[in-house]
Amino acid sequence: MNQTYALTAAQNMHYRWIREYKTQQVSGLSIVAAFQFDVNIATLKKCIELEKQRYACLRLRFTKPDENGEIMQYIADYEPEDIAEYDLTGMSLQEADDIMQKWAYETFDGDDIPMAEFRIVKLPSRYTGFFVHMDHRLNDSVGVAVMATDIMNLYKHFETGTPYPAPLGDFEKVLKSDLEKASNEKRLARAKKFWDEQLDEYGEPLYSDIQGPSVLEEARKKHNDPNLRAADIERKELFVAVKDYQLEVDSMQRAINFCLFNQISPTNLILLVIRTYLSKMNNGQEDITIENFVSRRSTQDEMTSGGSRVLCFPCRTVISGDTTFIEAARKIQNHQNRIYMFSGYDPEFIRAEMKKRYNTPDDTTYVSVYLTYQPPMNTSDLDPNAQKLRTHIKWFANGAATKKMYLTVSHLPDRKLNFSYHYQTAQLTEKDAELMYYYMMRILFRGIEDPGRTINEIIDMI
Amino acid sequence: MEEKFKEIVARYCSVKAEDIKNDMSFRDDLGLSSLDLMTFLGDLEDEFDVEFELGEDEQKLSNVRTVEDAMNMLKEYME
Repeated sequence: MNQTYALTAAQNMHYRWIREYKTQQVSGLSIVAAFQFDVNIATLKKCIELEKQRYACLRLRFTKPDENGEIMQYIADYEPEDIAEYDLTGMSLQEADDIMQKWAYETFDGDDIPMAEFRIVKLPSRYTGFFVHMDHRLNDSVGVAVMATDIMNLYKHFETGTPYPAPLGDFEKVLKSDLEKASNEKRLARAKKFWDEQLDEYGEPLYSDIQGPSVLEEARKKHNDPNLRAADIERKELFVAVKDYQLEVDSMQRAINFCLFNQISPTNLILLVIRTYLSKMNNGQEDITIENFVSRRSTQDEMTSGGSRVLCFPCRTVISGDTTFIEAARKIQNHQNRIYMFSGYDPEFIRAEMKKRYNTPDDTTYVSVYLTYQPPMNTSDLDPNAQKLRTHIKWFANGAATKKMYLTVSHLPDRKLNFSYHYQTAQLTEKDAELMYYYMMRILFRGIEDPGRTINEIIDMI
Repeated sequence: MEEKFKEIVARYCSVKAEDIKNDMSFRDDLGLSSLDLMTFLGDLEDEFDVEFELGEDEQKLSNVRTVEDAMNMLKEYME
């Protein structure tokens, strides 16, 4: 066996979910990338095989769990394979998507096995490309986008003679660097001090639900604890549904202009909008926690080395209703900047500290909403003239949500801003997602049209 | 110290260490996001064995706009 390594904090986050929910399905990651031209399938297969050699994270495997359930990872040697082809042309694009959606529910069960699988797909309307399904511990969504771009750059090289794409970042080097940083005791102590100080200052967090205070009240009854500040996590019915809403280009640009003018990042603006919505739904609650996924790709190597680098940290802010929209945005931004400085810290340590301090019951949480904001990959994503080639690119949910509401905000090739609400159907309905989007947009535009308005004024207006 | 400092900056951008000028802006010239900048400051803490006090010096950190700003702040903490 090749050199083995421990899992990073980001990989452990997924592995913990697999262990807690007892299915690898919660760690599935799938995408189709198809193009409306006569794709040379032999060349495309060759490029995918080359990608497995260039992008070492695709060859990651995991060892059998030890007696404590812990596993190690290693990079397997490249082994050529014959990529299967699927002809889905005799149907509508929606029907083809439905078939691929089912593939996204499949699991990788076993030890020391490949954890990524490619399929060539021929779709209706002359779209041809590839579907890839992998374990999230191998890669995250930014890494998948890098991979898809690299495959197509290889394809363009072989088919049209463009320059051979530059090498990608060295996955193993970055992995070693991550593990080294994670074991740096001074760094760990600084991060722990930062997170402990949050709890020292504000005390135990308070749950806020998108459906209002009744959820916490029910948890208090169930646990026979009128002072309980956390609510139950759904563990059994994990099925997730997805509802997407798109913000038109003009409106998206108004929001981006606000961010540029005020030097507020879009992530922090969206966090403010969500927390204001939660405050509105929970009788003006001022202490709100949202979990925010941080895509930790900062160095040049990290940008293109693949690997699962996303970690999820609680963004907890206590903001009174008489704070102005812009002051609240700056408060969130300052807080997030501090979190970024310690973004290699394993968030499990934060949860363990809270459990130790407050003796929170098992299977409860302070958080109902999780956010990922995916910035545009490059300037062409925001340039409508750069998208000449018709593509069918779609991310497929793995069908098993560990989170009640998981919102992904991303920029589409047509410059719209996509709000993708993934919600546990055991707890929520499409109506909840629709209401949340509706109020989020009202809060957003009431806030940015007059950032001097207070949070209370905005809540009253909507 | 300056050489080592710029080598660390170069990890975060596509500019070579020797081409990094002191008046370059992290955001506008080197393309660092706020996440990149804060991660970079974390690396400085490791490599130069300093600890930036986040609480009271929050404003100081948010004022780090250029390479020179960060270098001056580092020097202060190293003294």
